[in-house]
Amino acid sequence: MRAFLAATFCFAAAPAFAGIDEVIESHVLPGTEAFAEATTALASAATDDCTAQNLRDPYHTAFDSWLGISHLRLGPIEEEGRGLAISFWPDTRGLVGRTAAGLVADEDPVVESPEAFAEVSIAGRGLLALERLLFEDDLAGYSADSYSCALAQAIAGDLARMAGEIDREWQDSFAASLRSAGAGGNSFFLSEREAAQALYTALVTGLDFVADQRLGRPMGTFEAPKPLVAEARRSGRSLRNVGMSLEALRELAQTLADHPIPETEAAFAAALERAEQLDDPVFAGVASPSGRLRVEALRTLVSEIASAAAKEIAPELGVSVGFNSADGD
Amino acid sequence: MPSRRHFLAGLAAVALPRLSWADAGNPAFLSAAREPSGAYALFGLDAEGQDLFRIPLPDRGHAATAHPTAPEAVAFARRPGRFALVIDCVAGRVKHRLDIPAGRHFYGHGAFLQGGEILATSENDIESGEGRIGIWSRAEGYARIAEFASGGIGPHEIRAWADDTLVVANGGIRTHPDRGREKLNLADMRPNLSYLSAAGEVLERIELPSDLHQNSIRHLALAPDGQVAFAMQWQGTPDAGVPLLGLHRPGGTVVLAEADLAEQMAMEGYAGSVAYAADGQYVGITSPRGGRLHLFHPDGRFAASHRRADVCGLAPGARGVVLTDGMGGVFRSGSAGLSRLALAERAWDNHLVAIPS
Repeated sequence: MRAFLAATFCFAAAPAFAGIDEVIESHVLPGTEAFAEATTALASAATDDCTAQNLRDPYHTAFDSWLGISHLRLGPIEEEGRGLAISFWPDTRGLVGRTAAGLVADEDPVVESPEAFAEVSIAGRGLLALERLLFEDDLAGYSADSYSCALAQAIAGDLARMAGEIDREWQDSFAASLRSAGAGGNSFFLSEREAAQALYTALVTGLDFVADQRLGRPMGTFEAPKPLVAEARRSGRSLRNVGMSLEALRELAQTLADHPIPETEAAFAAALERAEQLDDPVFAGVASPSGRLRVEALRTLVSEIASAAAKEIAPELGVSVGFNSADGD
Repeated sequence: MPSRRHFLAGLAAVALPRLSWADAGNPAFLSAAREPSGAYALFGLDAEGQDLFRIPLPDRGHAATAHPTAPEAVAFARRPGRFALVIDCVAGRVKHRLDIPAGRHFYGHGAFLQGGEILATSENDIESGEGRIGIWSRAEGYARIAEFASGGIGPHEIRAWADDTLVVANGGIRTHPDRGREKLNLADMRPNLSYLSAAGEVLERIELPSDLHQNSIRHLALAPDGQVAFAMQWQGTPDAGVPLLGLHRPGGTVVLAEADLAEQMAMEGYAGSVAYAADGQYVGITSPRGGRLHLFHPDGRFAASHRRADVCGLAPGARGVVLTDGMGGVFRSGSAGLSRLALAERAWDNHLVAIPS
C-alpha cells in the first residue's frame, strides 16, 4: 500500500505534459465546437418549424455532441451552473417534469425574452426539459402557434447560447489557463501537475458518473430496481448516452496519456462491446433479475476502466484523485 | 485524587518556564499534511501561509486542537482512533499520549476549557453508540478525569465559548469500530446541535426538520458576536441540493443558508469545514467533492462561490478566510475571489486550525 501511495502521489520534477495540449486540441476544442454547432442547428430548426416531429433529429444530434464534452467539469461548463442547466440529471426530486409542466400550464411569458429565460430554474431549461416537450405523449402534440412551441424555441435558443459561451470561453481563455499552468498570474492552475490533475479528475469523475449514475440509478437495489429513473429514457437514449460518453472518455484518456495505455484501451473496448450487445435501450430490463445482472456486468466493466487508468495514467502524470474529496470526515 | 503523580505534575508546572506560542514562532494556523514521501506531519503556518515548523506524525490525523496560550497541540488519530497526541510545538516532539478508556474511541476533535486547563474530546461509547465528551486535565499530564453524555450519537466537532459552554455537533451517525467507518443507522439518524455546560448539563438542543434528518451536523464555527455556524454532510443522494450550512444563536431559530440550485447541487451534499472571517462579516463552508468555497453573510444570504479543486481546510484569517487544499495550496478569500498565499509540495488534510491570538 505504501509503495502504491508513493507512486500515485509523487512530486518528482514534473515533465512537461504533452498530453495537456493534445487534450485541448484533439478532444476539448473539437467537442465544444461540435456542441455549439449542433445546438445552433437545433435552435434554427426550432425557429423554422418548432413542432416536436421536426425537432427530434436535431435534438438527438445536440445531445450526442453534449456527451462529447459533458464530463469536462472544469472551467466554462462549471461557470454559471451551465453543466446542470444543459443536462439536469439525475433529478431525484422530479424538478424537470414539474418545472416544464408548470411553465406550460402557466403559459409563463418568460419565454419571450432570452435574458429572462436564462434566469428560469435550471431544471426547466436544457436538454431534459426539452425532452419532455418533444417525446412525452401528452405534451408533444403541440401546434406551431402554441405556448409549447415558444417554450421549445426558448430552450433551444438558450442551449445554443450556453454552448456558444462554453466554446468561446474555452478558446479565448480557459485553454490558455491549462497551457500556462504554473506560470505567474495563472490563478486557476498553480502547477502543471494541477492542470494534469484536473483533466485526470474529469476522466475518473466521468467514469464514476457512467457507473454510479447512468447505470447505477436505474439499477437501484436488487429488491427495488428503478427503470423509470434512467437518464433520457423518454427519448430512448439511456444506453446510447452510456456508449457515447464512454467513447468521449476514451478519447480523453488517449489524448491525456503520453504513452501507450493497453490495459485502459482494453477495458474501454470491453465495456463498449458489452454496451453494444446489451440491447436494452432504456434499461427497462433492470426490472427482472437477469436483465439487472446484465446491466450490472456492464457497470463492473466501466469500473474496471477507472482501475486501469489509475494504474496506467495517474502515475505518469504524478496525480491521484483528491486527498480530501476521496476521504473526508 | 491527591496522588504523588498529581503532586509532581503540579511541581513541574511551577518549576518550568512558561512557554507561549511566541516561542513556536507565533504560528497563525496548524494543519496536518501528507508529504511527498507518503509520511504525515503537523505544520505550523504564519498568517501568510508560510511554514514555521514541521513535526512528524506517526499516521494520518484528523483535526488538531490548539491550546489557547501554551505552544501545545492535540492531534487526533482518524476515527475510530484510540489515541491522541499532545505535541510540544517548540521542541517538536510528543509530550503526552492520550489513551482512551476501553470501550471508547475518539471522533477526531476536541476543545480546551478553563483557559486551557481542561481538554474536552468527542467520543463514542462503542457498545451503546451513545456520544460522550471526555474530560482531561492538562495540569495532571492530560489525565482523564471525567466524562459525560454529548447529547446525541456521533459527536464530531466541539467548540467552547469563553464562559466554557460547550457547543457540540452530534452528527447522528452510529458507527462501530468492528465495522470500520460503516454507517449503521442512516434510516433513523437524528443529528443535533447541543449546548452543554462544562459539567455536562444540556442547556439547549436543536434538531433540524424531519425531512433533513439525514443531514449530519459535523463541523462548527463560532462568530465573535456569539452566532454559531454548523456545517452538514448529507447522507442521501448527493444531488439533492439540500442546505449544508446552519446558523443559530442560543434561544433562537435556525437559519439554513443556501446558494442557488446549481451551486447548491455542485457542493455534492458535503461540507468539510466551516469558518467565520475574523471580523464576522462572512461565514464560509468548503466542499472538496464539489471543489468550492461558499461564502454567506451572517444573516444567511449567499455571497459568493469560489472554485478550487480538493479544497477543505478553512479558518478565520486577518481579512476574510484562509483555506487549504489537497494539492498544497494556501489561499486567502474575501467575496471577490481567491488569492494565493503559498504552495507547498504536500497534501493539506481536512482541517486548518486557527491559533488563538
